[in-house]
Amino acid sequence: MAFIRTILVIFSTFAFYCTPALAAVGDDPLGSPMWTELRDRYLGNNAKVVFDSRVKVTGPKVAEDSMNVPVGIRIEGLDDIKRVLVIADLNPIIKVLEFSPRGATPALHFRMKLQQGSPVRALVQTGDGLWHAGGIWIDASGGGCTAPSVGRSAPDWTSTLGQVQAKVWETPQQSRVKLNIMHPMDTGLAPGIPAFYIERLSLQDETGREWMLLETFEPVSENPVFSFDFPGRTPPGLRLVGRDSGGNRIDAKVGQEVAQ
Amino acid sequence: MKRTLTSVLVASAMLTLAAAPAMAVTDKEIEMDAKTPGDVLSWGIGTQGQRYSPLAKVNTSTIKDLVPVWSFSFGGEKMRGQESQPVIYKGKMFVTGSYSRLFALDAKTGKKLWQYEHRLPDGIMPCCDVVNRGAALYGNLVIFATLDAQLVALDQDSGKVVWKEKIDEYSAGYSASAAPIIAKGMLLTGVSGGEFGVLGRVEARDPMTGKLIWVRPTVEGHMGTKNGQDNGITGTTNATWPGDMWKSGGAATWLGGSYDPETGLAYFGTGNPAPWNSHTRPGDNLYSCSTVAIDVTTGKIVWHFQGTPHDGWDYDGVNEFVTYKTKDGKHLGGKADRNGFFYVLDAKTGKFQRGFPFVKKITWATGLDSNGRPIYDPANRPGDPAKSADGKKGTSVFAVPSFLGGKNQMPMAYSQDTGLFYVPANEWGMDIHNEPTTYKKGAAYLGAGFTIKTIDDSYIGALRAIDPATGKIVWEIKNNAPLWGGVLATKGNLVFWGTPEGFLKAADAKTGKEVWSFQTGTGIVAPPVTWEQDGEQYIGVASGWGGAVPLWGGDVAKKVSFMNQGGSMWVFKLHKSK
Repeated sequence: MAFIRTILVIFSTFAFYCTPALAAVGDDPLGSPMWTELRDRYLGNNAKVVFDSRVKVTGPKVAEDSMNVPVGIRIEGLDDIKRVLVIADLNPIIKVLEFSPRGATPALHFRMKLQQGSPVRALVQTGDGLWHAGGIWIDASGGGCTAPSVGRSAPDWTSTLGQVQAKVWETPQQSRVKLNIMHPMDTGLAPGIPAFYIERLSLQDETGREWMLLETFEPVSENPVFSFDFPGRTPPGLRLVGRDSGGNRIDAKVGQEVAQ
Repeated sequence: MKRTLTSVLVASAMLTLAAAPAMAVTDKEIEMDAKTPGDVLSWGIGTQGQRYSPLAKVNTSTIKDLVPVWSFSFGGEKMRGQESQPVIYKGKMFVTGSYSRLFALDAKTGKKLWQYEHRLPDGIMPCCDVVNRGAALYGNLVIFATLDAQLVALDQDSGKVVWKEKIDEYSAGYSASAAPIIAKGMLLTGVSGGEFGVLGRVEARDPMTGKLIWVRPTVEGHMGTKNGQDNGITGTTNATWPGDMWKSGGAATWLGGSYDPETGLAYFGTGNPAPWNSHTRPGDNLYSCSTVAIDVTTGKIVWHFQGTPHDGWDYDGVNEFVTYKTKDGKHLGGKADRNGFFYVLDAKTGKFQRGFPFVKKITWATGLDSNGRPIYDPANRPGDPAKSADGKKGTSVFAVPSFLGGKNQMPMAYSQDTGLFYVPANEWGMDIHNEPTTYKKGAAYLGAGFTIKTIDDSYIGALRAIDPATGKIVWEIKNNAPLWGGVLATKGNLVFWGTPEGFLKAADAKTGKEVWSFQTGTGIVAPPVTWEQDGEQYIGVASGWGGAVPLWGGDVAKKVSFMNQGGSMWVFKLHKSK
């Protein structure tokens, strides 16, 4: 078991009685110097947080490619999940993405950029307001967020922008949809290249019902790859609908192919 | 499985963070813009385009105390021509920059609130620098056009993109640089790309969603639409264009338009017919080089006036049509055309009242007839290449004005106090010849070669006060380099204008005596604005040398090549001792 279960419930007032550094070391299994500040910033001053081994984050110990670090989030045995925040404490842009599984399995696999070694955390809010935290350290040689995207230098990037490739693996018991979206996902941190990234993605069935809602930010890798899981077969007529920070719209059918 | 993304509207409901809009610009406010000095809501300071302010705190006696309040750098490496007129609402200034950027600033302090940088493809084809001329305000949105021919609407408070619409394919030569205007709750826009044989047009959209309402092509033969249905062909097919030439006929509406709520008409100027080689397209080539008056309710052309029928010199008629009332109650409009003539027309009917040169020398025409039609000098139209010995190059002629015009994109002002127009004019000519050419999508479609020449070593530019009733030049202030910024007139008996040499200047509106100047550090090619905030009058202008002159200026280079680029917003007010 990676973490000691349910260590503490932290109230905002608690932070006033001990220095942030001490609190970080004492409370955070990952020992991050940023933890208390980020907790207050992203979860609010009065947020109740428990470190919870049911929130599983997987990834490499050392990132081979800082521009494409594969990360998996899987939440097992937690009910009534409202939203899941993914943050990387020591990235120049900390918030990576946020998702709400609305019928899809509470899990997500994706690739992200890491500027340096950092904790990568999933913060899960349940219906009772409580936050459940899980995370890992991923070491990285650096530079993932401040390098220009490959797409930036491709003269024809507009002709592929927003194209979606999808593959579906399906059995009656469970299914997986893997997506690749063409997008430069520029962070705005490379000199002279403004931020340009996908902001929002939604998986919807033929009736318009939303099965998964995803808000994404600059640290998600260029030409993002996402894997979504469903209990049972994929919902009929599954579509990926979304937009980027420039108002470009993404709309693609993703649920038609049946493999295996 | 692949789906290509298209840029379309995104319902505001999709914005999770959309708060209740704290600001909301209304149609009424836009119609009253010229009379409400606390804001600047439209390009033209009022959609009529008079660029006249009733503010008088800064006047001929107080102007000696006019000093800078703040300056804001547009930053980056993108220091190219800054032709933008800012808009100001409830203490926020929205100013566009080169390369399709938009900045939201605190109008009083210059503090940056947010900035938007449009993601541009490499293949954009703007003819005349990577400029933008300004944004429109409506509701809680600020809306501007981009060099890849898109319209982007952002939330005034957050800077988030609310909707984006594509006007047309940038790869076919389309671009957009003009400021949109609002008329009767619709967003009106034009297109750029006359050098690529695009189809000129005026489009009306729902400003809150970007949804297209009507399209009115400005070349005869093309079908207009309204709410997705056919809405009548523009003109009569092949009446003034031979064969298929109208299909790539140009007439780009690249400087946008003006709108007079009293007539319900939007006035859009149209550019050159394509290609430049006029021998390939005998006829008047309607509605190129014209002002078209469009009933914004129907999306149909009510009247037109063509300054240069069968243009052979690239005398775009895009120049703004500024409506005004005479002392005896006539409702007229004035236009200083690129071809060197100033036209006065009836605002409602387009009936020609009078026309006269506003530049000292015109060679392509010897004058105007009683209907305002030019009397050509055939010797000064570039020769037909088909009649040359090898068929490759027609006779070269020296024509005045040059194709950069007696006046270009820089908007003039009209003072309600003096009844004069203040026109930034230029005196220059060109050697021009024609060559054979054929239309190819996305390729330059000119069929001409040219070199711009000076005609007077002592000056090119001249700010001229012109009486539209008599055609008399009441006064002028000469400028060594060509003028490329616009003009502002105020009740303080002042006119403000900028020069490529970097000075923002002010002159007595009645006498033409220069009373103030300030060096902004780089050339000014943008129109100044003024507004009032907390009881004080502010003057603002974007500064940043560029535009068409350094790209196409030919022999003019000797007057401008030493100028340095930049990119900033300057704001001034009267100094107060504490």
